[in-house]
Amino acid sequence: MNISTNPWIWVSAILTLGIFSFLYKENPFYRVCEHLFVGIANGYSITFVWHRVLLPTLINPVAKGERLWLVPVAIVGALYFTRFIPKISWLVRIPIAIVMGYGAGASIPRAIEASIIEQLKATVITRSTFESIYTGLWAIVIFVGVIATISYFFFSRERKGVLRPLSYLGIIFIMLGFGASFGYTVMARISLLIGRLTFLLRDWLGIIK
Amino acid sequence: MNGSLKSNYGIWEKLTKIDRRLIYLFLFLVVLIPLIYPFRLAPRAMTPVLKLFNHIDTIPKDKCLVISVDYTPDTEPELHPMTIALLRHAFSRKIKVGILCISLLGLGLAQDAISIVTNEFNSKALTRNDSVIYGRDYVFWGWQTPVLVPILGMGENISKVFPVDYYGNKTDTLEIMKTIKNYNDVGILVSISGSAIPFYYITYAQTQFGVRIGVGSTAVQAADFYPYINSGQVTGMMSGMKGAAEYEQLVEERCKIYARRKATDAMAAQTAAHLWIMITIIIGNIGYFILRRRK
Repeated sequence: MNISTNPWIWVSAILTLGIFSFLYKENPFYRVCEHLFVGIANGYSITFVWHRVLLPTLINPVAKGERLWLVPVAIVGALYFTRFIPKISWLVRIPIAIVMGYGAGASIPRAIEASIIEQLKATVITRSTFESIYTGLWAIVIFVGVIATISYFFFSRERKGVLRPLSYLGIIFIMLGFGASFGYTVMARISLLIGRLTFLLRDWLGIIK
Repeated sequence: MNGSLKSNYGIWEKLTKIDRRLIYLFLFLVVLIPLIYPFRLAPRAMTPVLKLFNHIDTIPKDKCLVISVDYTPDTEPELHPMTIALLRHAFSRKIKVGILCISLLGLGLAQDAISIVTNEFNSKALTRNDSVIYGRDYVFWGWQTPVLVPILGMGENISKVFPVDYYGNKTDTLEIMKTIKNYNDVGILVSISGSAIPFYYITYAQTQFGVRIGVGSTAVQAADFYPYINSGQVTGMMSGMKGAAEYEQLVEERCKIYARRKATDAMAAQTAAHLWIMITIIIGNIGYFILRRRK
C-alpha cells in the first residue's frame, strides 16, 4: 500500500466517494459534490471560451481596428442576452431564427442523404450481396428485420392477415435491439465503475500497480 | 409437502426483495477483487475493430490519420484507451496524425494521451528519426466551435479552421501542415465520443466530402452505429471498453508495442461484473415466475 501524498488526488478521491455515497441514499455530501462538478465544468467552459475564443478572435482584433465586420455579428449574438430583459426579450428571436435557419438549411439535405437514402441503399439486396453466403444471409436478415419492424409501426390498418405475423416478427427484432442496447449499457456503466475504482485503488491508495 | 413448498416460496420472495444496496455491495466486490488480483483475458477482435485497424494500417504515406477527441472525463475509462491505442498504432507505422477536439473538456484528455504515447516512443528512440516530433509527425489543432464550423471547414482548409494550434503556434508554419490541407489528405477520421458528434461527422464530413469515418463510441451508443457500418458510411468502430481492449490487443500483436493496456487490464473485472449481473437477472426472473404461479 502506497497512499498518495498529492493533495489533488485526495480531493478527487473524496469527491468520488461523495458521489458514490448516493448509492446508499441521497445526502448533503453527495449534493455538495454534484454542485461542485456542475459549477466547475461551467466555470471552466466560460473562462476557456473567453480566453481562447472571444479574446483572440473577436475582442483583440476589433480593438486593433481589424475584422470590423465581426462587430454587427457580435451584436446579433449578444441579442441572446435580451432574454434577461423582459421588455425587449422578443429580440432573442433574431439570433435564434438565424441559427435555426442555418442549421436547418445545412442539415436537412445531408441528414436525408446520410440517414435515409444511404440506409435504404444498404437494405437493398443485389446480386453482389450473395458473393459470400455469410453476407447474403445477413442481408436477408436485415431486409426482413427492416420490413417487419416498419410494419409494427404501421398503425393505419388493423393488424389482420399478413400484417399480424409481420408486426409480431417486428416486435422480436425490436426486443433483440433493446436487449443489445441493454447489454451495451451494462458494459458502459461497469466500465465507469472500473475507472473510478482503478483511480481509488491505484492513484489514491496505491494498492494496485 | 406443502410446508416445503411454502419455505421454497419464502426463499424466492426474499431473493426478489433483496435490498438494492446489498446488490451494489456485491457488485462492488465483484469488480474490486479482479482489480486487486488480476487475470488477463486475450480479447479477440470483432469485425468492426478489425476493419478500423486494417484501414489505419494501410493508410498511404501521403495521407494522415485524424483523431477527433470528443469525450469528457465522465467517459474517460471507456474512451481514453482508444485514443492511446490509436496513437500507438499510428506512430509505430509512421503515419502522420492530426488531433482536434470538438468537445471542450476533451482538450485535457487529448493532451494527456499525447503525452503518454510520445513519452513512450521518445524514451526508446535512439535517433531523431525514431522520435515522435511535434509539427513533423503530429499536430494538435485544439478546439473549435460550433460543431459544424470545424467539420465543414476542414473539408476546404484545415489551417483556416485552426489558424493557431493548441500551443499557440501558427498552424500553417508547421511542417506537417504542408501535406495536410483538407479532407483530401485524410486517410481516415476517427471520432471518439460519448455523445452524438460521430453522427455529425457521418452526416457532414462523410456525406459531403466522402472522407472515411471511424468511430470510437461508448458502449451505450454502440448499437446506434451498427447500421452505419453495414451501409459503409462508417469504416470501422471500437465500442466501449471491450472495443478498446480489442484494439490494444491488435496493436500489441501486430505492431509489437508492449505498453500498459488499460482497457485490457479492466476486462477481467468487466467479465466478472457481467457474470454477476446475469446471475441476478436469472434469479430475479425465476423468482418472478415462481411467485406469479403461486398467485
